[in-house]
Amino acid sequence: MKKLLAGAAIALAAVTGTAQADGHANYPERPVMLMVSYGAGGATDFQARIVTMTAGNEDALGMPIAIINKPGAGGRVGWNWFAGQADADGYTMGAYNVPHFIAQSIEGGVSYSTDSFEPIANWGADPAVFVVAADSAFNSMSDVVGYAKENPGKLTFSGAGLFVGHHIAALQLEKAAGVKLAYIPNNKGGAGAMKAVIAGEVLGGVNNLSDAFRAREAGNVKILGVFDLERNDFLPDVPTLKEQGYDIDNASVNFRGVMVPKGTPQGVIDKLAATVPAMFENSRVASRMKAGGSPMHIMTRDEVLEMWAAREETLKELLAGL
Amino acid sequence: MEFIQYFGDVFVPFNFMLLMLGTVGGLILGATPGLSPTMAVALLIPFTFRLEPAQGLILLGAAYTSTVAGGAVSAILLKIPGAPANIATTLDGHTMAKKGQGARALQLSFLASAVGGIFGVFLLIFLTPVLAQWALAFGPSHLFWLAILGVTVIGSLDGGSVVKGLLAGCIGLWLSTIGFDDIMGAQRFIFHDSLAGGINVIPALIGLFAIPQVITMFAKGRSRLDAEVLEVERHPIGDAIREVFGRMRALSIGTITGSIIGLIPGVGGQIAGLVAYDQAKKTSPERDKFGTGHPEGVIAAESANNAMVGPSLVPLLTLSIPGSPTAAVLLGGLLIHGIFPGSDLFDNHPQVAWTFINSMLIGQVLMCIFGLYVAGLAARVAQVPNEVMAAVVLALAVFGSYSVQTSMGDVYVMAALGTGMYFLERFGFSAAPLVLGLILGPIAEANFIQGSMIANATSSVSQYFFTGALNLTLIAIVVLSVGYSVLMELRARRVVTTKDEAVAKEEALS
Amino acid sequence: MTDLPRIQHICASGVVALVGVTVTWVSYTQEPAAAFLFPRLISTVFVVLALWTFGKAILGCSKVGNGLSAEALLRIAPGLLVALVYIFWAAKGLGFYTASTITFFILLSLYDPAPHSELKSWVRRAVITAGFLAVMYGLFAMLLGVFTPREIFF
Repeated sequence: MKKLLAGAAIALAAVTGTAQADGHANYPERPVMLMVSYGAGGATDFQARIVTMTAGNEDALGMPIAIINKPGAGGRVGWNWFAGQADADGYTMGAYNVPHFIAQSIEGGVSYSTDSFEPIANWGADPAVFVVAADSAFNSMSDVVGYAKENPGKLTFSGAGLFVGHHIAALQLEKAAGVKLAYIPNNKGGAGAMKAVIAGEVLGGVNNLSDAFRAREAGNVKILGVFDLERNDFLPDVPTLKEQGYDIDNASVNFRGVMVPKGTPQGVIDKLAATVPAMFENSRVASRMKAGGSPMHIMTRDEVLEMWAAREETLKELLAGL
Repeated sequence: MEFIQYFGDVFVPFNFMLLMLGTVGGLILGATPGLSPTMAVALLIPFTFRLEPAQGLILLGAAYTSTVAGGAVSAILLKIPGAPANIATTLDGHTMAKKGQGARALQLSFLASAVGGIFGVFLLIFLTPVLAQWALAFGPSHLFWLAILGVTVIGSLDGGSVVKGLLAGCIGLWLSTIGFDDIMGAQRFIFHDSLAGGINVIPALIGLFAIPQVITMFAKGRSRLDAEVLEVERHPIGDAIREVFGRMRALSIGTITGSIIGLIPGVGGQIAGLVAYDQAKKTSPERDKFGTGHPEGVIAAESANNAMVGPSLVPLLTLSIPGSPTAAVLLGGLLIHGIFPGSDLFDNHPQVAWTFINSMLIGQVLMCIFGLYVAGLAARVAQVPNEVMAAVVLALAVFGSYSVQTSMGDVYVMAALGTGMYFLERFGFSAAPLVLGLILGPIAEANFIQGSMIANATSSVSQYFFTGALNLTLIAIVVLSVGYSVLMELRARRVVTTKDEAVAKEEALS
Repeated sequence: MTDLPRIQHICASGVVALVGVTVTWVSYTQEPAAAFLFPRLISTVFVVLALWTFGKAILGCSKVGNGLSAEALLRIAPGLLVALVYIFWAAKGLGFYTASTITFFILLSLYDPAPHSELKSWVRRAVITAGFLAVMYGLFAMLLGVFTPREIFF
């Protein structure tokens, strides 16, 4: 039995050996894992499952992508694992969330930075929005800021954690409006932060546009502003923070995409960089994403590299004051 | 009464087939040591992508319902709870099995599950809007007190020594702080890379219960001792039905406690069984029998953990907030089809919503029928030779703990905790309080920190945690629970011999 | 022999107390203090209870749990060793399914009361091993789609 297996192993190795010789032309030859550093059912996990569902098609990778969840501490657990323990052979990909992982690497205490990863492509951009409960007295950002000016440090508002997009948005708001706010990070991510708003535990909250859109459809919240450069297609009636007079850019927008660990063979990276954006553009993917209320934003590897570098610079500046 | 008009949809052949498949598959997965409900549901997501929304939800709902009940099978026969929800079932269920009453314990557990489960789904059907308000009423301070209430249960949980029970609980609480701190992101007690992600409850649960059982089987050696083979007496189902309804107090305490705790987002079913068990024990005139194979222990624990299934979906279906990991997965199953939970679900897709809820109702009945059939097969499981069972459980523990997060580190943690637990068990420590500590630690800590942040910004910590009707009610229950335990402890001093005997008997049997 | 359980109790509670002291020391010396607030609280209670138990064990008042006899330890040792090698090395080194097959067969051989001299009992063990592994493969690899290190056999 064992001999037979060993024989089979050698035969298989011979086949794969030839493939490796000619620059990963046959990659991938087995299913690929995609590590998501948030729990099953979360926004990142949900979107990752949708955008990878056509991976098995012949015009995409030709092999299915399996989602592996490694949640914990706002993504730090998963990205630490990905930077330190994942195999750099092209069969382990990871989902990134910018600005989360960049902010965390600047803050320190983790073993990754932008240099630990090689981006492949970006699939979505989910801006942060400011929400208040449906029965709240606040109807615009100026109401919120006005309250904060009268009661410095007493305006409690929730977000998914420290050094994630929501926290960045909160810091930007404090800086642009010149007020002191009480940001309450939640240990249950965006869903927990949203619950705190709806239940009235806090006066407001920063949350993902996709989750907030859903909560507004359910009649639970009002959305007062978008932390982005332009209004969003899902919420054409909600003005950006900039329109309301606060100098806030898109640094907190949650960009989601796919990356591989540093050290992955260049041939594999090139192949993925060429096929993955096209895979995201599949019409079935687009319709499912739209149905789920998740804004798409496809970017190629070069564009992502540029975006990472730009984001790192802004965040360094913003977080320097902490 | 809107739900009745959609009952027909459940019985469409394809839907009904999915329901059967989900129920039977869930029962088997749940009964397999090492596989948990959340995992079973998460592993089913890819299938639901290909199905219609209602069909996908039928499959997920049926699997969710029956994995929770199925976990009782391994809890009773092997003392390995299938999920945290089944921990309380091991306390009396496994002792019953050792006395040869395995079939009876299983029948009681499935009947109690069905009663609790149906009650829970009816709550979901009739009282959803009211319950949603209730679910939201629990803020950080209330969840903190609830976790403390859980901690007070720890000491009195598992016979033996109260101090050792509390000590085991402390070890569990400490283990829960390992890894990245969830709010600040600081690293704590990371002695090894495998611990960087913290200690996941499921692998820990598998290790703490399954590995000691494996080693215990090793300890029996190569000898074939007929006396040690678990015997299973036949038990007529009619008697079991009479018994379940005859023990109304345990059944109603289990059902009501399970429904209330299941409703609270974030606490979920993990502690429902244990709290219900504790309440049933404290209010029973036969409280000394608990822990020695008392049927009421099984009934309270199992009715509670299935009663929580229906209410646990209230925050998801009405407010679009997933209250548990399983609910989060169900949310994904809805969103993929462009259906938003909340008013959209009930107004624009009533067929999906009600078919799903009805299928859980029918699923409870099916689960009970299949479960009673499984109970009849219990004798077969008991006949599996020792050495085969040891090897099977070991392999399942490894595969099960690996599959939770596809992580080898979890397997190492599982093995290390399990081996340590075997030796600790020899000296009067038990696994149940340890796991409870592991579950309650993060709830208590995160809510305390969030609560005090909100309190510092708005009022004062003492005002935030000690005022308000709900806070005071919970504090009163905590004080009562502690006071009662102390009182019982003082009284028990006099009858300590009987307790020692019970423990000695338990040890002799294991 | 009467003193053996007492010495064992002292050792066991001693180990727990040692862990308690270490944990307390670590949590009081590490920073940031805010993140260690809870560990400090827990470890304080932990160390008090652990030292109490240790004291009781030294005084010989620890009665619950009847320790471990030398014979039982001898019977456990081979199985535990195989299990630990399987988990900490073989599962990753050889791949889950290969390692499980080997471990399963060794454990059956170690603890099966059927005589080792008969071919029949070896065949029986092999058949059970193959059957179980087939079920495991069907369940985890085919049905649940779990990726294991080194995939199937390699």
